[in-house]
This record gives sequence, structure tokens and C-alpha cells, in this order.
Amino acid sequence: MAGGSAISGLVGASVHRKEDRTILTGTGRYIDDVQERGMLHCHFLRSTVAHGRIVSIDASAAREVEGVVRVFTGADMSAITEDLSFAQPIPGLHSPSYPAIAHDVVRFVGEPVAMVVAESRYIAEDAAGLIEIDIDPLEPVMSTTAGLADGAPEIFGDVVPGNVVHTDEQLFGDIEAAFSQADHIVEQSLDQHRWACNPMETRGGVATYETGSGQLTYEASTQTTHTLRFLLAGWIRQPIHQFRVTANNIGGGFGLKFSAYREDVAVCAAAKAIGGSVKWVEDRNEHLVAAGAAREEQLTLTAAVKADGTLLGLRVTMKLDAGAYPINPPSTVYAGLVRTTLPGPYKLPAYHFQHHIVATNKASYISLRGPWAVETLVRERLMDKIAETCGISPVEVRNRNLITLDDQPTKMITNVTLENVTAAETFQKLVEMVDLDEIKREQEDARREGRLLGFGVGTFIEPAPGTQEFWAAVGFPFGSEPCRIRIEIDGKVTAFTPQTPHGQSHETTLSQLIADELGVGFDDIRIVYGDTDATPFSMLGTGGSRAATMASGAVVYGSRELRKRVLEIASHILEASVEDLQIADGVVSVKGAPGASVPMAQIAMGCWLAPEQMPPGTNTEMEFVANYDGEGGGFSQASHACWIEVDQDTGKIAIKRFLVVEDCGKMINPAVVEGQVIGGIAMGVGGMLLEHSAYSDDGQYLTATFMDYLMPSAPELPEIEIEHLEFESDKVVGSRGVGEGGTVLAPAALLNAIDDALAQVGRPRVTETPITPTRMLELLGVIEKE
Amino acid sequence: MSTREITVTVNGRKRTVHVEVRRTLADFLREDLGLTATHLGCEHGVCGACTVVVDGQTERSCTQLAVQADGREITTVEGLAAADGTLHPVQQALRDNHSFQCGFCTPGFVMSIYGMCEEKKAGRPVPCSREEIREELSGNICRCTGYQSIVDGAEAALAGADGGDS
Ligand code: FES
Ligand code: FES
Repeated sequence: MAGGSAISGLVGASVHRKEDRTILTGTGRYIDDVQERGMLHCHFLRSTVAHGRIVSIDASAAREVEGVVRVFTGADMSAITEDLSFAQPIPGLHSPSYPAIAHDVVRFVGEPVAMVVAESRYIAEDAAGLIEIDIDPLEPVMSTTAGLADGAPEIFGDVVPGNVVHTDEQLFGDIEAAFSQADHIVEQSLDQHRWACNPMETRGGVATYETGSGQLTYEASTQTTHTLRFLLAGWIRQPIHQFRVTANNIGGGFGLKFSAYREDVAVCAAAKAIGGSVKWVEDRNEHLVAAGAAREEQLTLTAAVKADGTLLGLRVTMKLDAGAYPINPPSTVYAGLVRTTLPGPYKLPAYHFQHHIVATNKASYISLRGPWAVETLVRERLMDKIAETCGISPVEVRNRNLITLDDQPTKMITNVTLENVTAAETFQKLVEMVDLDEIKREQEDARREGRLLGFGVGTFIEPAPGTQEFWAAVGFPFGSEPCRIRIEIDGKVTAFTPQTPHGQSHETTLSQLIADELGVGFDDIRIVYGDTDATPFSMLGTGGSRAATMASGAVVYGSRELRKRVLEIASHILEASVEDLQIADGVVSVKGAPGASVPMAQIAMGCWLAPEQMPPGTNTEMEFVANYDGEGGGFSQASHACWIEVDQDTGKIAIKRFLVVEDCGKMINPAVVEGQVIGGIAMGVGGMLLEHSAYSDDGQYLTATFMDYLMPSAPELPEIEIEHLEFESDKVVGSRGVGEGGTVLAPAALLNAIDDALAQVGRPRVTETPITPTRMLELLGVIEKE
Repeated sequence: MSTREITVTVNGRKRTVHVEVRRTLADFLREDLGLTATHLGCEHGVCGACTVVVDGQTERSCTQLAVQADGREITTVEGLAAADGTLHPVQQALRDNHSFQCGFCTPGFVMSIYGMCEEKKAGRPVPCSREEIREELSGNICRCTGYQSIVDGAEAALAGADGGDS
């Protein structure tokens, strides 16, 4: 492979994870494990009313409780903080700012209305129960339809006119011509429900203010320390140079922990006001009610197609239920992602996309693992419907429309160049691996026995990391990624990354890369993350499946620069040319003459302690900050196939088999890749079949425990088979992200399988999720829809 | 605030302490004894992150009170690895199989699987097939992994638990 990655050795192997010794022995430091001297605990009292005006609040009884240190009402908190604002110069965006603790209007069940700081969590919760609050209820807006209706209450008044946070439409190509040439018009709609990230560790943080120096440290369960720091600094009026944000072990994030939240503001402000240490860890109930949820979107697609199934044009409308309060990133980013990605790996000559983002009286709409996922879900279901309309198979319709390697480079209709995209090839491989005739036969046999089987496929591309053009089309920056690498005085290596890994195994994968590039031992490398005092700045932290390309690139380029410096010095010492030198196990030697060698430790010690004595003209700086631009970036891709059996008596859907063909380029650690793929699929399956962040019509939150919000457990999930393609590009770093794709694509393959089963018994397609057993019985016509 | 004196043996160490009667066993372990390996994922008995072994049985520590543990013997994840840091065979099997990601659910799974292995060593019936292992682990939630790698690890751990090793 040209230009090729010199990566070899550990890279590509399922190396044992560095993280595992810590997590298996329980010696990690998750947020609730933090104990600071004199640390106080806090608890938030939350609104039980979806929409209302606070008439009065009386915290006097709570303040009397022994062990209570301070109670902050909304007014108390607003006296020491600025309102949170996520406004950005985006045309037409109505982004209301809001206080850390509500003092005027409450807009969702779970909104903080007071904060109690006490000597223990138990006391804080007791005292919160003594706060008397009187809220005058207002009519809540509980859906996008209700929010957009004439005369609907405007939940932010004229700050968000008509509850429309943002609306826009974009036209690509000649859509009128496409529809005038169509043999068929195919329509499809989907109403996706709210579901949630639900990391096993909830949100939380410990803020510690040093009254003497004026320094504030916030240790948080976050995906992005630097962004949290710069967002919070202004709101809590803390000079940013006196503010450090750290993170240690993080018990999952999935997008949720990308934003700063009002509780973060309150906790930091409280620590400053009290002059000490305050811990906040939400419990699961609060998490489910108040942390926010995702995916609540309604889409309608109208496709113009030729008789042979060729796509001519596509019209899409999307309504996104944003909940009440904006968070980071602005909701226009989600709409932009859906719009830009929706054509996927298919040829599409004309496209029209319109969205409405609507404010409602719910917790915030947040990022969830592949926040744009609905684009793949609706597109892949549309492809199946086109196949049905044109009387061809789901395989054929895709083959006729997919962009293959031979077609590239080419541009998506959304102006994004596709290059080295192998979605079609993954699909080809998938089709080779399954026997479609056999599947048909099995289905027919099953029907004769009264059983119902379904089979579905799907394919997609994932912007992991995406390209400059892609992110420009979305309206979000595609930053470069830094890494500071240091060869220590003893020849061992420390790398400082702005990534904030929370399960993605970056300590392992980045060490593998450095070990191979620098010729040092895997155990002689440490990855430092989660400290704004130590790591270079990046806005993004860990998210968007960027690290496989971007963080990898930064350590590869950084290692290469340091390697060059070491070899130049060694070439003087060993009197050999740089080309003749090699590094292995931390020792530089002359190829073919193993006796002629110098330990890296010796070179490093010389450079740190006596640089003036090192060979003249050499660079003795043993620390370097590399900035990786992504070499243009790129996409990863996959195809999925899903086999299900439907129990027609109970409505239960069992996944019998699940096959993945994925291509994330060069795998750094296959076990890590497979873990991401399988974990992602589990989340997608859970989201479609079990999980629901549900509200009643009057805005009460209905699924506030794990007894009501059903998380997938081991028996509900299938064994997942994975085939890797590893297409090699000519980039130095040929690895692509794989964190989100499972969650993006699995729902599409699963719903296509469900539709296939329904079609066999003459029932209509799914138009609403989740597909709980009850919904499945409705779809089967066994019971009436409620 | 009413307290009571209890005597518990935790990871082989006997201690007599005063605890608030309403304190959960999980909070007692984490806050009073500083044994923070036992995690809290739900505090209402569903997720299994707080699983510990009490008198040889795996139990939730979030839904019982510390005072109920009076006179009993508790093992937490901190009690598994050898003093020199050598991982317990269960931990090693899970490590070899890349079982976990973020690690938050992990102590609960380790204790559940440890419990299964102890059962096997004691000659009691334990799950054999992967399907049975999945059923057995249905009381532990992991959001990261999709469970397959955990089942791999549990299978390996069970295969190694034959009464011969510790
Ligand atoms: S914390 Fe005990 S079961 Fe979830
Ligand atoms: S590894 Fe993250 S919850 Fe299980």
C-alpha cells in the first residue's frame, strides 16, 4: 500500500487492555469514588410539574436541618452565576438561555428548583423533602405536533416563536424533474420514540474551591474536559486560568456526557460560594427523569423511483422533539447530520430536506451514540419499500443504487466527496455469506408450522471521523487533533491526549501505536488523559468515533518526530547513517550489527540533563506536540443482516442470528473493534425493542426506574457474527472509527426483518417505535391499537 | 440519627463498627470502609453493579441495610486478587476475553461470575451452555459490551473452576 502505514507488530493484534487490571480489581476512580477533605454532598429538588410558574418557594425548614450547610433556591443561584447559553451565530436558531436552577418558570418534570448542600447525601435528600414550593401549572406541550399547532402555548414566549427552535429547507439537484420522470412514488414514514444513553454511571462531579489561591478544580464524569471548562468558566464567573477540569474513570457516556449541564454549574458555584468541596452524583431515578434523552424524531420520505428501482429523487421532512432546554451541541447540528448523511452510500440525483426543531416540555434532547442514526433507519427501510414496490429483492434494489469503489471519487448529492467508501463491498460480502433462497425456504417451512420468521438487511456509511466537507455541510467544526508525547529521562514514554476515554480502550490502542512507532515496550508507555492542566486543547474530547483516526494520527506523527530526533542523535553516537538504524525494545542499534547499540534511555537522559553535550546540530527536545489534520478524513461502513422469529401469541421478537460485515480500515486492536460493534448493536436493539423514555400526556415522566425503562440484558441479545474487510487506503493512518455504527445500523436491519415478517402475514409495516411485544401484537392484528 | 454496633468480616478482615441504621450495605462498604469497588448503578435492585458475596451467596448490596449484615461474612471485588496483585482466575479469564469496556458494571459481573465458579467448585449445578450463562447473568446490566465478551469470559472462568485452583 502506497505511502503506507509503517505500523506493524502490536498494531492489528488483540493486545490485552491496559485498562483491565484497574477495572477488574475495582481500583478505578469513578466520580462517586472521589473523596475530598471535608467534602459536602448535594441533592437537587426537582420540579414535579411539566410546565408552570413558580409562585413561591420556602426553604426555611430545610435550612434548619442539622448537617445542612446551604440551600440554594433559583434566586440564590442566579445571584452567583450567569444563565447557561448555548446560542451560536446560526441563522434562525432560537436558543433560549436559562438559569442553573429555575426561579421563574419550570419547563419539564425533573427541572432543578433547589439545591441542598449537606454533610451527607442522606441529610441533603431529607432536607430537600422539607422545601415547600408552589407552582402554578401551565398547559404543557408534549409533542412536536402539539408544539406546532395553532394557538399552542409558547413555552419560551417570544424567545422561541411558535416553539420552533429552528427550521430550514435545503434543495440539492432538480427535484421537480426527478419526480416528473418517476415511474413510482414511494412513501414511508417513521415516528421514533425517545430513548436514552443510560450509561451505567450517571452524571456527576466533585468541585473543590481553594479559597486561598482562588483555584477551582472540577473532577467530572465527562467526555470532554476542555469544553466543559470553557463553557462552565463563564457561567460560574471563574477566571479560566484558575480553573482545572479533570476526569478519571468514566462509566460510559454515549454522547450524554458531551455537554455541560446546569447541575455542573450549580455544583461548581456552590463549591465557590461555600469555599470547599461539593460532590454531586445523580441517582438513576434523577438520571432517567432529568438527564435528557434522544432520538425523538418523526420523518416522512417521498421517493421518486424508476420502474427498475433506481432512485431519482427524495423529499424528506423531519420534526425533532428538542425537549425544553438546549444543550451542546446546538440541535441544528443533529438536523444537519441527518440531512447530510441520509443519502448514504447511494446514488441520488435530487434531494430536498426540510426540518422543524420543536421545543416541548420534556428533558433535553441529547446526543446518543450516532445522533444522526435515524437517517440510516429511514433510508434502509425506504430501500426495502422501493424493492417491494418494484417487485425486486432488497438485495437487488441496493445493488442497483449503491456507489461502488469503481464509482469513486464521487460526490454525494449533499456535496460531500466519497472516496475509498466500501459500503457496497461490505454489502456484497454480506450477500455472499447468506443463502437467500435458503432463508426463503426456511420462512415458508416455518409458516407451515405456524411460526413466523423475518429477515432484514441494511448498509450505511459512518462519518468516523468524516471529512472537512462533511462537517462543513453539517455546520460543525472538524478540528485537528493534538497529542503531546514525551520520552522520559529513563526512555519510557508518556503521551498526553485530549481524548477522554470511557470504555473505548484508548490507553491500549494509543500505546500499541506508540510501541510500534517508537520501538518501546507496551508496558513502558502511559497515556495521560482527563486533565486540562496537562493535556493539549481539543473541543471534542471523546465522541463522534474520531479517535481511531484522529487520536491515532496524533500519536503516530508525534512518535515519528521523536523517533527522528532519537535516530539522529544515535547516528552520531553509533557513527552510522539514520537509514541503517532500528529501534527495538527501547534500544537503538545498527541493522545487522547488534553489538553497535545505544539504549534510548541513555539518549533521553543526555537530552534532558545535558543537552549541550549531545551531538551538535541535533534536536534534543524529547517532548513534542503533534497536530494531526486527519489527512482529509474519511468514513467507515458496514452491512448488517438480522434474522428474527416472532412469537405470534406474546408478540415477543427473538433475534436468531445477526451478521455484520464491517470495514473500519486498519484495525488497531480487533478485540476492541468487536467490542464496539457488538456493544453498539446491543444498544440499537435495546432502543428498538425495549427502551422508552416515556411521558404521559400531562408531562409526567413514566419510566423513572429500571423496572419501567427496560435495558437489554444478556438473554435478550444474540450472538453477533462479525466479518472484517479492512480496506487499505493510501493514508498514513488508515484506521476509521467504529464506535457508533452498530447503534446506527442495527435498528434498520432489525426493523426490516420485522417488516419482512409482517409482510408474510399480510400486515402493514412498522411506522412507530419501539416494537414492544404489545406493539407487535397490534401490528399482527392480534389486539386492537390502544 | 440512630446507630447500631455491628460486627462484619469483609474480605477476611473482621471489624466492629457503629453504623447508622438506615445506611445501606453498599453505602457502608463504599463510604464507611472506603471499599469503592462495589458500584451503584441504580440503587433499586435491578442493575447488579452492587453485587457482593454474603455468606457465600451473591446478593445486591443496595437493597439491604448494613445492620442486616451483622455477624456475616462479605466478599467484595477488593477481596479477590492476591496480595501481590495476581488476578483471581475469574478476573484473569475476563481480562483474557476483553470482557469489559468502561468498567462500571464490572465489579458486579466479577462477583456474579465468581459466585458461579464457587458454586461449581462446591459441586453444585452451574450453567453450562452460553444460553444458560446468559440467563444466569440476566441480573447484571452492562451498557457497553452487548454481553458477548462477558459470556466468553464467564465461559472460560467456569471451565477453569474445577475445585483445584482457588
Ligand atoms: S445498584 Fe444495586 S442493583 Fe443496581
Ligand atoms: S463495561 Fe461499561 S457498563 Fe459494562
